[in-house]
Amino acid sequence: MGANSGPGASPCASPVGPWRKVLYARQPFPDNHVDRRFLEELRRNIRVRQYRYWAVVRETGLVAQQVSCVAVFITLWSCMDQGRLGPSVLLWAATGCALPGYGLYEMLGGKDRERPRLADLQSAAVFLAFTFGFSPVLKTLTESVSTDTVYAMSAVMLLAHLLSFPYTQPSPPGSLSLNAALFASVCLASRLPGALHTFAMLSWALLVFALWPCLLHRLRERAEWSFPWAAGLVCAGGVGGLGAVWPGGALLLSLALLVLTLACPLLLVCLQRHKDNIHGPWDEAEIREDLSRFLS
Amino acid sequence: MVLKIFFPTCCNTADSGLLIGRWIPGQDSAVVLAVIHYPFIPGQVKKYLSETQNQSQVDLAVLGSWSLPKDGQEGMDSFLKDLSTIFPNSRWLQLSREIGKRGFACQVVHNRITPPDPAQGGTDKKDQIIFIHYDQRKVMLSQLHPIHEESPGEESSELRAVFHTVAQSGPLFLLDRYDEGPLKLTHWQSEGREASIVVELSKQASVPLCIVLTWLVLLSFQLFLYVVCCRILNIWPVQFISSKMSTCVQTAYRTNHFQTVFSTKKATSHMEFMRKANIFVSFLVDMSLGLLLVSWLYRENHISQLANTLVPVADHVAKELQELLEWLMGAPAGLKMNRALDQVLGRFFLYHIHLWISYIRLMSPFIEMILWYVGLSACLGLTFALSVLSDIVALLTFHIYCFYVYGARLYCLKVYGLSSLWRLFCGKKWNVLRQRVDSCSYDLDQLFIGTLLFTILLFLLPTTALYYLVFTLLRLVVVMFQGVIHLAIDLINSFPLFAMGLRLCRSYRLAEGVKFRVLCEEPGTPLHLMMEINPLKCSSVLQRYRTPTYSCYPRDSWVDLCKKLFMGELIYPWKHKTTKTD
Amino acid sequence: MAEKNEFTDINGKAILLDCQNYSSFCREFTVSSPKVSLCKVIVCTCSVWLFAYAVFFVTENTAVLSSAIIITLVGMMMHIHLVKVEHETLLIIGSLGVQLSTSYASGRESTTFIEMSRIKDIVINEAVYMQSIIYYLCILIKDSGDPNGIASVVPLFQSSKPRLNCLVQVYKSCQAIIAQTR
Repeated sequence: MGANSGPGASPCASPVGPWRKVLYARQPFPDNHVDRRFLEELRRNIRVRQYRYWAVVRETGLVAQQVSCVAVFITLWSCMDQGRLGPSVLLWAATGCALPGYGLYEMLGGKDRERPRLADLQSAAVFLAFTFGFSPVLKTLTESVSTDTVYAMSAVMLLAHLLSFPYTQPSPPGSLSLNAALFASVCLASRLPGALHTFAMLSWALLVFALWPCLLHRLRERAEWSFPWAAGLVCAGGVGGLGAVWPGGALLLSLALLVLTLACPLLLVCLQRHKDNIHGPWDEAEIREDLSRFLS
Repeated sequence: MVLKIFFPTCCNTADSGLLIGRWIPGQDSAVVLAVIHYPFIPGQVKKYLSETQNQSQVDLAVLGSWSLPKDGQEGMDSFLKDLSTIFPNSRWLQLSREIGKRGFACQVVHNRITPPDPAQGGTDKKDQIIFIHYDQRKVMLSQLHPIHEESPGEESSELRAVFHTVAQSGPLFLLDRYDEGPLKLTHWQSEGREASIVVELSKQASVPLCIVLTWLVLLSFQLFLYVVCCRILNIWPVQFISSKMSTCVQTAYRTNHFQTVFSTKKATSHMEFMRKANIFVSFLVDMSLGLLLVSWLYRENHISQLANTLVPVADHVAKELQELLEWLMGAPAGLKMNRALDQVLGRFFLYHIHLWISYIRLMSPFIEMILWYVGLSACLGLTFALSVLSDIVALLTFHIYCFYVYGARLYCLKVYGLSSLWRLFCGKKWNVLRQRVDSCSYDLDQLFIGTLLFTILLFLLPTTALYYLVFTLLRLVVVMFQGVIHLAIDLINSFPLFAMGLRLCRSYRLAEGVKFRVLCEEPGTPLHLMMEINPLKCSSVLQRYRTPTYSCYPRDSWVDLCKKLFMGELIYPWKHKTTKTD
Repeated sequence: MAEKNEFTDINGKAILLDCQNYSSFCREFTVSSPKVSLCKVIVCTCSVWLFAYAVFFVTENTAVLSSAIIITLVGMMMHIHLVKVEHETLLIIGSLGVQLSTSYASGRESTTFIEMSRIKDIVINEAVYMQSIIYYLCILIKDSGDPNGIASVVPLFQSSKPRLNCLVQVYKSCQAIIAQTR
């Protein structure tokens, strides 16, 4: 605006010469001077991508299955709390899920292993030992805290888990999300009637929140085709399981999943058309060079 | 420039004669110290002045003449003028006083040799003279504050120079003690001569006596010190315990004082002298108070009464503690505590109290005897009795101390654990090398176990915090009581009784400065001022002459204390944790 | 030789400047504030006693009354001894020094003498006081290490706070004496 009219106009005629866009030379122009080529460099929407609807739907599967995971966990807990499922059944089921899962993980992993098998075994032993040893303590932990407080705390923590989950890079799981989920599961597990119940609950928490994302990530990497099926399976499991315990909740969950997988991508694709970004010489500098050789 | 003449009040009515004094170098002022009366022989005066100068290190001179006309002394003026030729000086003062007038007349005769100015004479200079009268005795004895010990020779301040001159010219006043010299002088000593002789003689007699006494005391004392310090105190546990017991600390402190007071070296500076005197007086007061206490204690069986009240009180405290613990083991104030941990802690502490009660039962028959012997320590001074009392209180409340330590350790562990696990919870860690919080990616099992522990610690925190809070409050009550006792000890130890007494009875001895009063304003005479001594304020006496003591106050500020209490660090007396700085 | 002038202080209350001329290089200025007004004392005492009586009426405890009497007496004594300044005096003696003294209503007097060799100058300065700017007279003390530096500033007439016209009169006399004897 001020470039063409005010301060810039008169010195142009002077014998000093034209204005140059450099900082190293002393020029008889004010610091904020620009010439008429200023707006020629304006660019719009350089980096805006046009999404395709079904691709976005496919990607939302990850979010939907994570929400369903939480639902599955809550289902398991309420089943145990009401006494429909015994701890031993759950423990067997956990073993039954974990061993094929591990096998699948190893099979998809290929030859380049980062961790030796012994380390995995050691980790598993540590999990089992600590959980089993602490389960009596955990059982009495929240005895004097009122049930509502415990429920509220678990709800907040599970929400925090969903919000802070690293959806772009789910393996290894992010600290805050995993910790929040584990805290919630400890809170919930301490409401259960027996020490073995607590143990079973915690092992399932480990399966659902820590190990399943790793497996899913590997599935996505190595066998692209299987990812929608796995996500759909988990979603169906979540809705079905919740339906058995609390039909209203199942309805709500399925609605939420539908909105998440179908309506949200639609909204994104529609709104993408209205996007209007401008770029120009006023942007801060961007370093395009490949810096990896400095970092090694 | 204005000529200032400092004139002693005692010479106001002196007979005519010569003024002896000093010209202050660099300033236009003269200090008159004494008047030499007629008749005198000028040669003798000169000899006398040089002798005195050697003794006092003050360059004395004949300043001028003084005339107070009396009957039968006519025609003095011409004689006085002639005197200036006998005592060569650049300036010659001619002071004269007339009967019936309060003011002096003064003429300054400049020596003819130096300035060949014909318009000399007193007439035009008459207004430019100030007479400042001072009380010679008070100025001589007083000590100006703030004290500069280093360079008494070259003061920039005029008043300091005057004070210094008067104080140093003591030999001038002492020399005519027996009134036998060839010269007759007038100054402050010339009036109250007999009394000062008595004082002088007693001083001289007391010196050898003091020396003998000091040697005797010192010899026995050194022996005792050698045995105690070298043999016993250097063993580690004894040393450690003795640094914690206020009786031992007080003993060391008094020993130190004893050495200071009875050292054979003479106190050279004013501060050193005041320090010795303060210590000595406070020592005497302490002893006399202690003896009073002893005389009260051992009369009418007060000791057994004390013992008979002490044991039930200790018993009662233990009972109260037991009830408190039982209350804590229930649901105190409706708080939600972890029941299992609560029971464990409560039983642990109850067992301690049980031990304590049986210990007191065991001790109770001997308590009277212990008190009887301990009471004897009051002979050494009230401070000793008080520090023994403080130690007894510390011993009798040992169970509270133990509870406090257990509670604090447990709480500290929890707080530190929680703070580091919270970092793990957020996916961060403390970088020791850079002293900051960095982000870090943990392994799955680390995360799992950390969260498990975090949850457990978080839910158990209220229980430990409550126990910690209650025992800390108890401990603080005890510490406060001990603190009051220590404050009393410190007050007796450090209060500058001698300086305070000087300030109250001889207020001119400690001078903060001077103040002037306009004496008379007769037209035609120079201005007359009265210089009085402005005594030091009581608060500054306290601040300046307070004997430094071992600090019994908490070294950290209140904010630090609160922070420590919150973090569960031990506050007193095991607080010597050196902080690492890099 | 003595002259008395009426001035006002910064709050508009009347103060008296008494200028005593002892000689050409020795002058004394006394600023006297008005005396404690009896009306104010009576009002204060009465209000405290009425309050005490009201408390006594509710609690029926005679200790309240006696403590009220003690409080008023002690308060009055403290006020007279520590707070209420009757007059402030500045005695300037050429080539010797400056003496400041403050006498309180109880007769207590606190005096400070500053030697001429330590004085750099006497000036009128400005200060922000609550919401306004006031003038005050002050003595600049030399720094012993640095010949041009100022170690500290001693304000004069601190409790009476006269207005500028009064200060100017004192200032001129002081400067005359300092210039004459230096």
